[in-house]
Amino acid sequence: MTKTALKYVQLPQPQELSEREKEDAMGAYLMMFASLASSLPLPVINLIAAVVYYYVNRKKSRYVHFNALQSLLSQLPTTFLNWGLLYWILQIYVFENLVKNDFFIAFLTFAVVANLIYFTLSIVACIKSKKGIFFYFVFFGAYSYKKVYATSNLIAYQNEEPNVHRPNPINAPPF
Amino acid sequence: MILSVKHQERYSRGELLLRTIFGAFYIVLPHLFILFFVSIWANILSFIAFWVILFTGRYPQSMFEFQEQLLRWNLRLNARIYNLADDYPSFGLSATDEHTTLEVPFPESTSRGLVLVRAFFGVFYVVLPHGFILFFRLLWMNILLLLGWFSILFTAQLPKAWHTFAVETIRWQTRVTLYMGYMTDEYPPFSGKE
Repeated sequence: MTKTALKYVQLPQPQELSEREKEDAMGAYLMMFASLASSLPLPVINLIAAVVYYYVNRKKSRYVHFNALQSLLSQLPTTFLNWGLLYWILQIYVFENLVKNDFFIAFLTFAVVANLIYFTLSIVACIKSKKGIFFYFVFFGAYSYKKVYATSNLIAYQNEEPNVHRPNPINAPPF
Repeated sequence: MILSVKHQERYSRGELLLRTIFGAFYIVLPHLFILFFVSIWANILSFIAFWVILFTGRYPQSMFEFQEQLLRWNLRLNARIYNLADDYPSFGLSATDEHTTLEVPFPESTSRGLVLVRAFFGVFYVVLPHGFILFFRLLWMNILLLLGWFSILFTAQLPKAWHTFAVETIRWQTRVTLYMGYMTDEYPPFSGKE
């Protein structure tokens, strides 16, 4: 048995996942549309929705937990970028404290490209997760995998027998 | 869809007076405060469900169950506001209630065409005609419930026919909500009968 197999729970294959798990995993990536749904064009709405979705669904299964966590973490960079952009735009066009310069154009372009990349990757992840296929974002994918599929993860998932993946029990008998 | 509010043989006069005088503070305000935030979440899920149905032809089951639980919560609360049931309505999406029942069958598939038709023309062929009739029906229901209030106060009973009329009105409204929320493909009948 390899070292990885000992440290991590075996990944489920698409046919082993229930339709419901796949749907719940897919839903995590769709939280990027939350601000559209709430008609409030604030960058933080998507993040709040992703956080709520994560805490509501994370104990359903490892597959759902992994996708919800990956979706939540992958929203952080674009959320911060969008907040920065919003602040800058307000300072230039509303409060007139700053002037439009080349740095602003560069930041705007960077933010637009980053959002497009994030949007495309999220749609791909959304489609793949509905099919039961793992899609890993750069950095966040590996981190989420380590966090969720590690045998040291002690969360009791609703679709798992208790203590199946708990090699390090917290409570032990006195002798 | 099964929706019912149990008709009680006798209603509590004390609870009736308590609800009338302090109901806004100990029932309506705390419930509506939480329901406000839960409803924002429900709207977000409903919007997402619309797109999911459009692409997959199926309402995500977890989101469907959430909407169903929220409707159940609303029913529990409305039953008390309208004095159709005694006892305090429980908080929470998964809470149970012995006086009210709401079961919505989960559709294995949902028509994508109908989803689009509802999104674009639902106001005209569902909301307007049903809303027009429901407006008058709700007026009449409120008159009956006002009379029912006196009936409970003096006799501790709510006439069965009045109770049935109110429940049928709620059932009618719920069917329209379900249809417009893409939770069923069945066009709501112009009746509140089971």
